[in-house]
Amino acid sequence: MTEESPEEEYVNKKGGFNLRVIYDRIIGKLSDPSFHKTAIWSTGSIILALVVAAVVMVMTGYNVGLAFLTLLWGAITQFDRVLFFGTPLIFTGLSVALAFKCGLFNIGPEGQLYMGAMAAAIVGYMFSLPIVIHQLTALLFGAFAGFLYGLLPGILKAYRGTHEVVTTMMMSYSALLFTAWLVAYPLKDTTQTLDRTPEILATAELPKLLGPFLNLSLIIAILAVIGVDYLINRTVLGYEMRAVGQNPTAAETAGVNPKKNIALALGIAGALAGLGGSGEILGYHHLFQDNWSTGLGWDGITVAVLGNNNPWGVLAGAIFFGALRAGGIQMQRIAGVPLEMVRVIQGLIVLFVAAPRAIDWLSKRGVDYAIWLKRDRVPALVHLCTSGIAGASAIICLTVFGSFSTMMEAGVVGSGGSVTLLLFLTSLISIYALIELLMRKPRGLILLVFAAIEWLLISAMGYVARSMVIVGQSLVFGVVMLLMVVLVVKVFPETPVDSGGDN
Amino acid sequence: MNILYGFLSKDTGRIIIKGEEVELHSPQDAIIRGVGMVHQHFKLIPPLTVTENVILGLEPVLRRARAEKLTGAKQLSSLLPIDFKGAADRIQKIAEENGMQIDPKTKIQDLSVGLQQRVEIIKTLYRNADILILDEPTSVLTPQEVDDLFLTLERFKESGRTIILITHKLREPMALADRISVLRDGELVGTVNKEDTSPEALAKMMVGRPVVFRVEKSPATPGDVVLSVDNLTVRNKRGVMAVKGINLEVRAGEIFGIAGVEGNGQTELIESIAGLIKPVGGRILLNGRDITGVNPREVREAGISHIPEDRHKRGLVLGFTIVENSTLGRHYKSPFATGPANQLIDLSQADHLADRLVDTYSIKVGDIHNLASTLSGGNQQKVIVARELAANPKLILAAQPTRGLDVGATEYIHNVLVSMRDAGAAILLVSAELDEVLSMSDRIGVIFDGQIIAVKHPSDTTAQELGLLMAGHNAGYSAEEAVA
Repeated sequence: MTEESPEEEYVNKKGGFNLRVIYDRIIGKLSDPSFHKTAIWSTGSIILALVVAAVVMVMTGYNVGLAFLTLLWGAITQFDRVLFFGTPLIFTGLSVALAFKCGLFNIGPEGQLYMGAMAAAIVGYMFSLPIVIHQLTALLFGAFAGFLYGLLPGILKAYRGTHEVVTTMMMSYSALLFTAWLVAYPLKDTTQTLDRTPEILATAELPKLLGPFLNLSLIIAILAVIGVDYLINRTVLGYEMRAVGQNPTAAETAGVNPKKNIALALGIAGALAGLGGSGEILGYHHLFQDNWSTGLGWDGITVAVLGNNNPWGVLAGAIFFGALRAGGIQMQRIAGVPLEMVRVIQGLIVLFVAAPRAIDWLSKRGVDYAIWLKRDRVPALVHLCTSGIAGASAIICLTVFGSFSTMMEAGVVGSGGSVTLLLFLTSLISIYALIELLMRKPRGLILLVFAAIEWLLISAMGYVARSMVIVGQSLVFGVVMLLMVVLVVKVFPETPVDSGGDN
Repeated sequence: MNILYGFLSKDTGRIIIKGEEVELHSPQDAIIRGVGMVHQHFKLIPPLTVTENVILGLEPVLRRARAEKLTGAKQLSSLLPIDFKGAADRIQKIAEENGMQIDPKTKIQDLSVGLQQRVEIIKTLYRNADILILDEPTSVLTPQEVDDLFLTLERFKESGRTIILITHKLREPMALADRISVLRDGELVGTVNKEDTSPEALAKMMVGRPVVFRVEKSPATPGDVVLSVDNLTVRNKRGVMAVKGINLEVRAGEIFGIAGVEGNGQTELIESIAGLIKPVGGRILLNGRDITGVNPREVREAGISHIPEDRHKRGLVLGFTIVENSTLGRHYKSPFATGPANQLIDLSQADHLADRLVDTYSIKVGDIHNLASTLSGGNQQKVIVARELAANPKLILAAQPTRGLDVGATEYIHNVLVSMRDAGAAILLVSAELDEVLSMSDRIGVIFDGQIIAVKHPSDTTAQELGLLMAGHNAGYSAEEAVA
């Protein structure tokens, strides 16, 4: 999804005049190797996350195909919801990304979002103003509340050296608790049992765009993306912020005040998050309820990471997360996979994006194998098959292990304890063997022998339990594995390890 | 050199050490084969002692062999106590054998730079290195310390060790080396024996054309006093008094050179004039206007340009493009900023400037939109010099303007500074290289321990005399006498 981002960037930047220049710039940007790297990392992380999520689903006994199909279908058919779920993430993602451009890690968009939402809700229900003005005032107050709540840690960082990760995170929790107290006592709607404010006046509501969910805050979010991009790249303030983020001492030497920029960057980051919170309240919730956001701010950090802290990347990342959310609801309804699986996928994506070495490693191994295949085809092919069988063994083991343990829980299988344990062990050994084989270490073959022996053991157990399916399957695996090992050792004894390099 | 030491991996080619072709994946591989390296920027940990630094990565565990026999695992031995005493004794022995004095128990942060370098050398000897790589070893030393180092290296040579000396100063290979290889742009230009060559011939090989060593300049025609520093006192970052009452005057059309060993207050002097550190006492006047303690932007507005001593730390934003770097410091002013209240950046004006600077200063760049980090050190420095001089300053603070640059780039920057002087700018030049100060300056102040202990005219003095003054001998001058 992130691949499209720079295209949009320049189209929007230049507004349409001088097509030739725009075209050249897009091509230049698209052929930039650093952009390729980012795109590969982002998409690679998403794919890897989906693969791991598939394994988890298989283990826990869900229909993976159906789950992904409904996820995709849900995302495509309910595009308004996708955008609706993505909107607040655009704001919080931008908040993190902007602060990052100034070398700051804003962990607190959640708190800034709450403060902004609270301010907007108060303006929304306490004051009676004419339409348009009311909405604008509420949004402005929301942004301002977020600004102040971001400025405070910014000032602490700039002038007292307090680390912003600690203060923003701590202040996030303070904001959650503070607003919870506000809605529980002074601002509580006493006609309700739940802790929440009264509903905002109709004049403060943001108009809906499409369907019951999508509202004007999406437009504001997209304007914010353009605005942040412009701020970062085209204004003196953005230039100074980037200079401070890249090299504060050089910026200082050149007459830029790093302290002012640090404080201001966190302030603007807070304002963006606050604006996001106000948009949610004015556009959809229409009142402030205790703990309403369920982690929109935290997800913003993830979105910024996925979007590589580029405003257009953030937009793409937020929409992708919105799609996961919208599709996830569909997935839960039809395939019965709990919505938490979406959280698992999100978490895995961050894990893989934050650990690009995993993807680097895999691609390096892939290139390595390709070279080997080209040089001497047959041994490489045999070796590749060996790795393949290790991988297959690991996946099958995990699958069977998963269904076995669910069956045991359900009481279908009475005494499968030892088999389950064995299966789990085999899967672990197979994974280890796979890694070693991919690195072309001879240890992988020894591990594979172990795995084969375990398969044979499982087949013996299956015979005892009179389950011919288990016997057949595991026998095939065990024998094939042993054959492969013998083949590699006997026929192609000189397994080249030299060009493998270090991992 | 980093490839030879295993920091980087080679793409193609072969490395043969002692007749054996080797693959070096890490410094560990190089160390095992007897290669030791002393880096230009020392790889020492200041709060640790000499012993701790030397044994780092090779900690002698008490009875390691027995422990390994017992547990059968190498990893476990890292939990056992370290044999500090034995290590310290060995370090002492190595130092004495090679005529170096060092106390293994002192902390690195308490040692002078010259002694720290010895620790680095001992570190390689402790690892039984017989191939010693020295990367720009003299850049931080006084002339006397350089002589000591060379004596030590001569000794190594006699004891049969191989020394590879990397340097950009011509004097050093001529004094020390037997064979000299010249590299230019990643290619070997040639290898010559010392007997068959001369500094001039080497310089020609390095630059590709004949080089004039003496900076060609006409006598200075000093005008009015531009900068006057009056009894300035400055504390450094750690709160220690670093500048202890300096008085000096720099006139228009004059280069005032400050000679001194690094760490004697030059950095603090320059940074306090540039507005980066607030002085404790004293006054700084620019054309009679008091600019003491104002912020860096106002200092720049007043007409001072600053070529910082550390180009990566203070000079450039490496993650910025050349264009972005070339406007840094003037980015908020017209014509680079436009729009309401000068808040928008005019990209085309910045491109213009960068193009112009790249042209006039013949900076080798692929594209002005490339990151500054892609440039070579010399070209990075040229970007800084170009940017700072383009502001048309009244006073130029040039701190180590040619550090780490090759002969060609150095010559270029010298000529540019001299032409700025001739155009009427006042220049305060700080350099650790005595030759540079001697050849560039119209007057030379020697700084020692935060004070200017002597002011000399280059024609009346010699490198030997300045070297002695820099080391604090003849510190009988008082600060008042120092003002010429």
